[in-house]
Amino acid sequence: MKIGTGKKVMLGITVLMLVGFFAWSGGQSGGAAKGEYTFSFWTFQQFHIALLEDAADRWNKEYPDRRVTVESSSLPYADLHSKLLVALQSGVGAPDLVDIEISQFANFLKGTVQLADYSKYVDPVRDKFITARFDIYSKGGNVYGLPYHVGATVVYYNMNHLNAAGVRPQDIGYWTSDYVEAARKVKSATGKFMTTFESNDQWSFWPMISQQKSDYFNAAGDVILDNDINVKTLQFQYDMIYKDKLATLPPGGYHHTEEFYGFLNAGEIASLLMPMWYMGRFVDYCPDLSGKILVHPMPRWEPNGFRSAGMGGTGTAVTNQCDDLDVATEFVAYAKLSKEANIKIWEILGFDPPRWDVWDSPELKAENKYTNYFKNGTALFETLLEVKEEIMPVNVTELMPRASDLVKSMVVYRVLESREQSPYEALHEAAEELRK
Amino acid sequence: MLTVRTKNAMLRSITVVVLLLLVVLVLFPLYSLIVASFRSGRELMRLGLTPSFLIPETLMLDFYKALFTERNGIYLHWFKNSFAISALQTIITIFFASLVGYGLGVYRFKGRNLVFSLVLFVLMIPIQILVLPLFRIIISFRIIDTYWGVIAPFITSPFVVFFFRQYTLGIPGDYLDAARVDGVSEFGIYLRIMSPLMAPAYAAMAILQARQTWNDFFWPLIVLRSDKKLTLQIGLASLLTPYGSNYDLLLTGAVLATIPIIILFIAFQRYFVSGILAGGLKG
Amino acid sequence: MKMRRVSAQKIAPYFFVAPFLISFCVFYLFPALMTVIMSFQELLPGQVKFVGLRNYELLMNPHFRNAIIVSSIYTVVTIAILVSVPIVLAVLVNSKITPARNFFRAGFFVPSLVSVIVAGVIFRLMFGTMETAFINAVLGSLGLEPQRWTTGGFVHAQVIMVSVAVWRWMGINMLYFLSGLQTIPSELYESAEMDGANAITRFFRITLPLLKPIIIFVITISVYGGYAMFAESYIYWSNLQPPNDIGLTILRYIYYTAFSVNEMGHASAAGLVLLLIVLTINILQLNIFGVFRKEA
Repeated sequence: MKIGTGKKVMLGITVLMLVGFFAWSGGQSGGAAKGEYTFSFWTFQQFHIALLEDAADRWNKEYPDRRVTVESSSLPYADLHSKLLVALQSGVGAPDLVDIEISQFANFLKGTVQLADYSKYVDPVRDKFITARFDIYSKGGNVYGLPYHVGATVVYYNMNHLNAAGVRPQDIGYWTSDYVEAARKVKSATGKFMTTFESNDQWSFWPMISQQKSDYFNAAGDVILDNDINVKTLQFQYDMIYKDKLATLPPGGYHHTEEFYGFLNAGEIASLLMPMWYMGRFVDYCPDLSGKILVHPMPRWEPNGFRSAGMGGTGTAVTNQCDDLDVATEFVAYAKLSKEANIKIWEILGFDPPRWDVWDSPELKAENKYTNYFKNGTALFETLLEVKEEIMPVNVTELMPRASDLVKSMVVYRVLESREQSPYEALHEAAEELRK
Repeated sequence: MLTVRTKNAMLRSITVVVLLLLVVLVLFPLYSLIVASFRSGRELMRLGLTPSFLIPETLMLDFYKALFTERNGIYLHWFKNSFAISALQTIITIFFASLVGYGLGVYRFKGRNLVFSLVLFVLMIPIQILVLPLFRIIISFRIIDTYWGVIAPFITSPFVVFFFRQYTLGIPGDYLDAARVDGVSEFGIYLRIMSPLMAPAYAAMAILQARQTWNDFFWPLIVLRSDKKLTLQIGLASLLTPYGSNYDLLLTGAVLATIPIIILFIAFQRYFVSGILAGGLKG
Repeated sequence: MKMRRVSAQKIAPYFFVAPFLISFCVFYLFPALMTVIMSFQELLPGQVKFVGLRNYELLMNPHFRNAIIVSSIYTVVTIAILVSVPIVLAVLVNSKITPARNFFRAGFFVPSLVSVIVAGVIFRLMFGTMETAFINAVLGSLGLEPQRWTTGGFVHAQVIMVSVAVWRWMGINMLYFLSGLQTIPSELYESAEMDGANAITRFFRITLPLLKPIIIFVITISVYGGYAMFAESYIYWSNLQPPNDIGLTILRYIYYTAFSVNEMGHASAAGLVLLLIVLTINILQLNIFGVFRKEA
């Protein structure tokens, strides 16, 4: 038959392809031998991988009959979260262990939670931690994520500018008075702005309202975005920029743009309000400021007010698609909850560990690239110890992702950059949208 | 009174100047990238894209060396993946799409217009909107995180089909009849007689397809998940996080990611252009 | 014997187009139907339920409206620039009086070989906010104010997104038009010249009309490209949402709704709206250009 050959060839190719499909997709290597556990781990911050790998080494020495291997992948930030979501939704394709960033975490607490509960490991040591850092990853009393750090927010002062103006950080007690006063002195002595407030991100606004015990939501989950404290705080930022002309907007709108690092490094501002985890940026991108920056608690808003806030964060979770939930949760707890683990968090990642009883241990006073960079030197953590009781938990609800995005892209932008709305108008509009 | 020759000379100079200016403008970003790949990310942050950065005094090769060792040579995996997927997808897509296009262009059969309209339909409608269900299908076929998962939905690229159809439209029927009289099968005609004639089309489409697959971002982003399976584009993108980015690897990696495709193009430019020209997007 | 051959000839085309039909059904039709169904559902882990038209009601919000505006303006502007400029360039590069044509042809094409992520890093820096950033420096030397490109507002956002798009696609479009120009017989130009037509007239009376099929083709794929735009916006605002939605395209809206706030049903509805918009515009466009009149 004339069509014979043609048909045969096409058929052959199709068969080959189908075979190829199934062969190539290959499976995972078959079930592990007893006592051998392999966990897949997704993160968006490749540096986190080092912490888990170190933990695996230590674990394997301590429990040689239950060896753990971690297979890590570093994916783009938005991509990791979207893939995870779809995987948990469809019941297939999720990793065993995963890092979930705080502003996305709420997405995974919707409906039936597909993550494992760590409570039995957390409860015994809860009082040695900044508990706020567990609350943000919890629902209904269960803890679904373990934190990497406190994210304690501090002020980074450029001592060159402050010295030129004759200002001492310890004298800056209150935002509305001392800080503004210091800003004036700095401006007249050096011509530089005191700081920048983000117009496209939330790290200037949120810590400030958090230290006043305010938030986007209250503990019951209601939207309080447009309350008086928040309005007043945003107004304060606006006034410092446009009325007093003592602050400005960062180039690019937030503190993680490529050009902001250049701006910062050139000493264009005398102080910066950011969490402790921003230390790495100074070390990596601001070589000219080495030895000039002092880390100090935030000023207060009222007498006995808090001087810090716990910002940002990533929780490591175990998904319910993991075959060995018990070992996995125990392993992650091992990597995050012990004293040893928390010391490692500082040594390997340079983060402020969430377990405060290690803050005065000798390892945290040892020299490393951070102590060599910041003026505080090896006394870096004493600053933190001062404020350990002054960190409010952040209230996380299912609307958190939307809320943060609205604050970042609408609220602070419209008030501080495009100036098309007053603080109340912007906050209220966003709050109303959330309330729908 | 200007003679035709002077007029022509003037026109020529103006044209050259305009084109030259435009080309310089167009190639400037690439130049910046290349320079940046020889300098540290820290310098880039510090100086920005200013003349002092762009006209470097020293160039460092360190970053190129680091490319192969950083994170256990993950970059090499990305490169291999991009290469393999591009090669596979190009070959498979060109093969199948040319079959379809040939079928549409050469034969008159019932349903011909319907099929062609479907092709046009797919061409006009962004497949990205189907990403959610597509993803679920790929998962159920168990080809998630594999090369095939990336390639499968696009095997019959409507654009390539369209091109081959146009290309083969003009072929006179007697040519084929003569082959049939000689006892060649339909598929044989395609394979042994038409294919050589379609060589420029193959070349042109192959380069376009290779380029597209090499630079593809959105769909591989959805399908691939393990570190070692990522393609260059996604791997490079993973270096940018909200909590700090690895600029050194990114810039150097980006330059190396562009070189192969540029080489491919320059080497085959002749075939590529003649293919496009011959195909002529008539009507 | 003859009967067999005729039937082979009759059946063969179906085999040739089979791959497309299979692929179409599995990877296009079926997902499209799934999207339609999902647009009437709410999907959460462990719970899927039908919610009627609710997702479509959800779409009536200012953000989606902004997305449509941003995508539409972007599409119109890019089509305007990416059709007119490449035609002129093609004519210039094609012209016999231009030297080094291969060089120019390659030069303009190279940007399209560069991936969007790579281009992104550079363009982000070029459009930096500081006075020393490249574009601002150029503006400064012309006596203009530096601009806050990524946060300045609607117009700024369009400028930076369109710039990347133009940079990337100019060469390819130019090549399409070049191919079209080759099919125009030079006798036409010569006889027109003899009749006294100057270059401009020749361009508008001969070149443009004969390029019509290519222009239609380029516009069609540009409508698709414009409305499906994701990357050119992602470059500038990747880990954050664009301020005030200035860079929010329809596809970004879909991606965000599906994956960042986990509302898949809502996102599917948006996807269908996108499909309808593109389909409508393309049909309108093809009608205007008379493509649907019966081909000879």
